[in-house]
Amino acid sequence: MGHGKYIDPFVNTAPTHTVAAGEVLNLDFVVLPGESRDIDLRIDLIGPGAEVHLRGLYLCNADERVNFRILVHHRAPGCHSTQLFNGLAGGSAQVGFRGVIVMAPDAQQTEAYQENHNILLSDDARVETLPQLEIYADDVKCSHGATIGRLDEAALFYMRSRGIPETEARALQALSFLSGVIPSGRESEIELAVRSLFR
Amino acid sequence: MSDDKVIREFTQGEYKEGFVTDVEQEFVPKGLNEDIIRMISARKEEPQWLLDFRLDAFRKWQNMPMPDWAHLDMPPIDFQDIIYFAAPKKPTNKEIDPKLQETFEKLGIPLHERDVLAGVVAVDAVFDSVSVTTTFRKTLAEKGIIFCSFSEAVKEHPDLVRKYLASVVPSSDNFFAALNSAVFSDGSFCYIPKGVRCPMDLSSYFRINARGTGQFERTLIVADEGSYVSYMEGCTAPMRDEQQLHAAVVEIVVEKDADVKYSTVQNWYPGDADGRGGILNLVTKRGICKGTGSHLSWTQVETGSAITWKYPSTILKGDNSSSEFYSVAVTNNMQQADTGTKMIHLGRDTKSRIVSKGISAGRSQNSYRGLVRMGQGADGARNYSQCDSLLIGSKCGAHTFPDIKSANTSAIVEHEATTSKISEDQLFYCGQRGIPEEDAVGLIVNGYAREVLSRLPMEFAVEAQKLLQVSLEGSVG
Repeated sequence: MGHGKYIDPFVNTAPTHTVAAGEVLNLDFVVLPGESRDIDLRIDLIGPGAEVHLRGLYLCNADERVNFRILVHHRAPGCHSTQLFNGLAGGSAQVGFRGVIVMAPDAQQTEAYQENHNILLSDDARVETLPQLEIYADDVKCSHGATIGRLDEAALFYMRSRGIPETEARALQALSFLSGVIPSGRESEIELAVRSLFR
Repeated sequence: MSDDKVIREFTQGEYKEGFVTDVEQEFVPKGLNEDIIRMISARKEEPQWLLDFRLDAFRKWQNMPMPDWAHLDMPPIDFQDIIYFAAPKKPTNKEIDPKLQETFEKLGIPLHERDVLAGVVAVDAVFDSVSVTTTFRKTLAEKGIIFCSFSEAVKEHPDLVRKYLASVVPSSDNFFAALNSAVFSDGSFCYIPKGVRCPMDLSSYFRINARGTGQFERTLIVADEGSYVSYMEGCTAPMRDEQQLHAAVVEIVVEKDADVKYSTVQNWYPGDADGRGGILNLVTKRGICKGTGSHLSWTQVETGSAITWKYPSTILKGDNSSSEFYSVAVTNNMQQADTGTKMIHLGRDTKSRIVSKGISAGRSQNSYRGLVRMGQGADGARNYSQCDSLLIGSKCGAHTFPDIKSANTSAIVEHEATTSKISEDQLFYCGQRGIPEEDAVGLIVNGYAREVLSRLPMEFAVEAQKLLQVSLEGSVG
């Protein structure tokens, strides 16, 4: 750290994935109700033009412990990475998201985006999110966003005033919240799991 | 003369406040132990309870490790190699030493009430370890407002000081708060009684002068029910090759329906272009919105210091209380800053807003670190945070470390951050219109920081805009 002399801050962690020049890595994560999981990833983009797209969703309604620890390390120029992790936390679940984007001095002309959105369904559930950026290159576009909130009461009222039962309205809103992170081919399975949270 | 030397002289020459005042001073011996603390306390003629408070803090401090979690490359600090108390000798017949008066005049701080024309501001001027004078005390006293140096407050209003001291920042809060509690010298004390709207801005100005010393200011602001005050703080220090320590504690208590606006323009000496010297600015600032409907607003412009470690925070305890944090932090050359805020939501329908703008240039490192916590009782609480970073040059770093915790289903927290550089298009556009590159950068940076600068009291806003320009001088090309 310090004084422009960039030292790989994670020098002792071996990457779980390395993405070379021109390669594209897509990873989807699904954590269904009842599952406690620690998901640790370190992804190094080591060649120009490498791309990484990560998506994750988690559904908790009991006493699950779900932790994401994700490091996306841009070590080459002209790379692109996106991350989107959305989840629902109910019961007495504890969800942690720690996502770090590091851009080494060589990682010029890089674009990196990271988002983590959470909805709390019960007062006993806990969510902690730590999205982090460490940028040592200047010609980059990088942003992150994180939210913790609840289902939108106005939207629920709107649906209910049109005759949609409350549980259905909640499930519909949750599904739309998760729509960006549902992997293709698993739509029906996830819809069932989401509906089970609102039964 | 080599180019390098030209640049160095140019950047050094720009710190206008870097002079030393030649004044006779008294010191306590170098080093830190219980005898030194007793000596400081005796010199200030303090009551026994305050000495006990100091010694208790010192004993706690001895068992605390130096924190190393910040994204800073901190040199080891030899706490036995610091002089903990330095005071200018008082001339026998005059109130203020003319040399000190000259110093503060040079810094643009009026110590005479008649000198002030427009924009009336009451000033508490602190020189090394003692307060030189506090202006407008009588005018303020007519409204029941107490504004004086901390040492005077201990003598004249011991009950108030005892009631509120360490009620927001306990002496065991952190390493530097404990150190400050043990050795603090002077600072400001301010009490606004019930229902009083303070008729003028209150201001403290801190000046480090003596070599080999540290400054340990302690400020306590209490706004009673329904009162309002706008408080400003400024600071400068001479240019030296050695690093000097500044470890302050600021506590703010905001009672029911009271409103406090706290603004800082931090312009400590940042060190030279190679990172020699500069102030280590390691401070703890915290306020509590104690009563319902209370409001606390922090605005800071951080341009100085070799190292900044500072997180002005608010505990939102009263229902419907609200707080804001607006910050611009500029680092250039070898400066390092790790700064941000904490918003602890405990009461119902509490609201907070964080707007942080970081600007890194040269070979500096600039980090935002923040915590937003929604407690279980924080029904309907709301936070919005925005942290932007601007990079100027390819050798600096910009980092964002937010921590968001929620334990309440009806609370809503939003955080977003972006990192970018000044675009070629913007510079080209300015260049086309005959604006030189450095001026263009200043212009763009001022626009970028405008949301924060516009929150500053008028006197400060002008100074801050100039400071931004000066701080970034020599950073392009």
